[in-house]
Amino acid sequence: MSSYKKVRSVTIAHLSNRLFSARMAIMLPILILFIPGMAWGFSDPKVMLPGGITPSSATEVMFYTSLGIVFGATMCAVLLSFDGVSKDRASGVLEIKLSQPMQRSHQSLSLVVGHWLAILIPTWILWAISYVIVNYRMGDWPSIIDALTSFISVALILLWYVLFSLIASSHAREQGTSIAFGVGVWFLFTFLWALVTTMVAFASGVSIGEENDPKWIDLEGVLDLFSPNGVFHHLLETRLTGVERGVSPLISWFVALIWSLVPWYWFNSRMKIIQP
Amino acid sequence: MSDVVLELEDAAFRHSISSRSLSKPFGKTQGSGIFSLNLKLRRGQILGLVGPNGAGKTTLMRILAGIYPIQKGKIKYNKSKSNNLSSISEMELRSVVGHMPEQVRWQGKTTVKRALEDIAEMRGVAFRVDGILTMVGLSEMKDSELDQLSQGMRQRLTLATALLGSPKILLLDEPFNGLDPVAIRAFEKLLNELAMKGVSIIISSHRVAGMVHIVDRLALLHKGQLLIEGTLKDIESEFELDNRIEIQGPGKMPNFEKIITDSNSILQSQHTELGWTVVVRDKDDNLLNKLVSSNIKINTWKSKDTDIVEMICSATGLELEEIGFNVVSSTMMPYKTRGEEE
Repeated sequence: MSSYKKVRSVTIAHLSNRLFSARMAIMLPILILFIPGMAWGFSDPKVMLPGGITPSSATEVMFYTSLGIVFGATMCAVLLSFDGVSKDRASGVLEIKLSQPMQRSHQSLSLVVGHWLAILIPTWILWAISYVIVNYRMGDWPSIIDALTSFISVALILLWYVLFSLIASSHAREQGTSIAFGVGVWFLFTFLWALVTTMVAFASGVSIGEENDPKWIDLEGVLDLFSPNGVFHHLLETRLTGVERGVSPLISWFVALIWSLVPWYWFNSRMKIIQP
Repeated sequence: MSDVVLELEDAAFRHSISSRSLSKPFGKTQGSGIFSLNLKLRRGQILGLVGPNGAGKTTLMRILAGIYPIQKGKIKYNKSKSNNLSSISEMELRSVVGHMPEQVRWQGKTTVKRALEDIAEMRGVAFRVDGILTMVGLSEMKDSELDQLSQGMRQRLTLATALLGSPKILLLDEPFNGLDPVAIRAFEKLLNELAMKGVSIIISSHRVAGMVHIVDRLALLHKGQLLIEGTLKDIESEFELDNRIEIQGPGKMPNFEKIITDSNSILQSQHTELGWTVVVRDKDDNLLNKLVSSNIKINTWKSKDTDIVEMICSATGLELEEIGFNVVSSTMMPYKTRGEEE
């Protein structure tokens, strides 16, 4: 059997194990509530967001719906993959897997892609359903480029969280450490990053809370590049008109590439030296 | 003699263990492992790997399974049927070796067949799963969830993973743990059949007695070093542990000095409320007759099995207390010793 076929088979095995797990059955209602649910709410013609904003296009509605990805799907990605390596390691199955004639880089590739697809497939389906809901409520479709950008951005942010969890899982000797790291990283970037931004702004002499202050906007834009959620929103903003936060689309995509490659390289390196 | 299929040449591996300090928070140091180990495995041979806890048995098994990379030395493999051994990469090693680790705790809602298929796909032999499940006696449990398996069933599943892909070398780490006596007998029969087909097998165990009748040769490991390798007879002879008779009888300890003239022949003697036990070297063919004619009552007369402790003590020259558990007064009596401070 060729290496490609092996990688494909093992990836599908990881994917089916996770996709049809009890965990996924528990998380699916959360995803439905957060993604199509938000799309339904934000596409209401009478909706009025804080700041008096009313979304006027499908792309704009989906930008706000992306909060469902940040709060719901990323958490599901963490919960789905936090024990991707540690469970096998704790049970001794990892020793069996490491003794199989499959390169460790291929094993890590299968792990990443299998876990990623397990959260990506339902999320993408719900994301696509959300577009249909928005069209039903507003009668507007996004352009193909807008839709493509959002689908790729969703895929990337989920990949990053899957990678963080798998890295933690490969370093942890037991499940507790692994999930604590995964949820901790999710908590940091989802809730605490605003605090980090505020602290850096204060230390830099930028006035805090002045949302229209160009200095604050620029600083927040730059600091967002250091957070996966921030980069995700930068990517989505590349298709929004009237948003200028001092970061060009090229930079956003370049940083997204770095956020993908560095953790992937880290995980791959870790798997090459991992011991049962 | 059958040809050598695998050879370890001065193989060494030491575990990297953390050694943290304020100046080096991620500091590492070299720990235990195996040192300059030379070992040959022949085609169709069953080699028993024995040694106490921490001897390096599992480390050696993992090296042979291609999990740990050796840091020094070479691993050579006979790729053809000739006697030409050549260096082998870890990937190549993994393709010819089937590894059964110790105590794998299979768990989850996955079925037995699905779990085996997941491993088989890594080997590229997913289509042969049913046959293997039948071979290890799990065909009726193939649709059961892993959580429903007993320890013995889990052992069988682990064995099944080792048998995937018809490996040329089989590494079994404590394979009899959790198996019932019938399963052990069936397992031994399977191992003999595999060996007859040319599969070379290494069995690691703490217990010599449990596997002496199936292994062709024994390798004794202690503190990461190979102390001796050979047939059980060779090893017993080397350490003078062969030809020993254990005799037990009721009542007081008889006076053996008149019967056994060579005092060195009495190796051990023990007296309890239930009777006496002596272990003697079986040099005198008429010993039994002499004991009977001296009116000494005998309950048991049997050849004494060699156990691992005796072997290690003989090989290292250490006493049991030195290689066993160390019980010190500070761990047993953490409080004031009566009569000293009080």
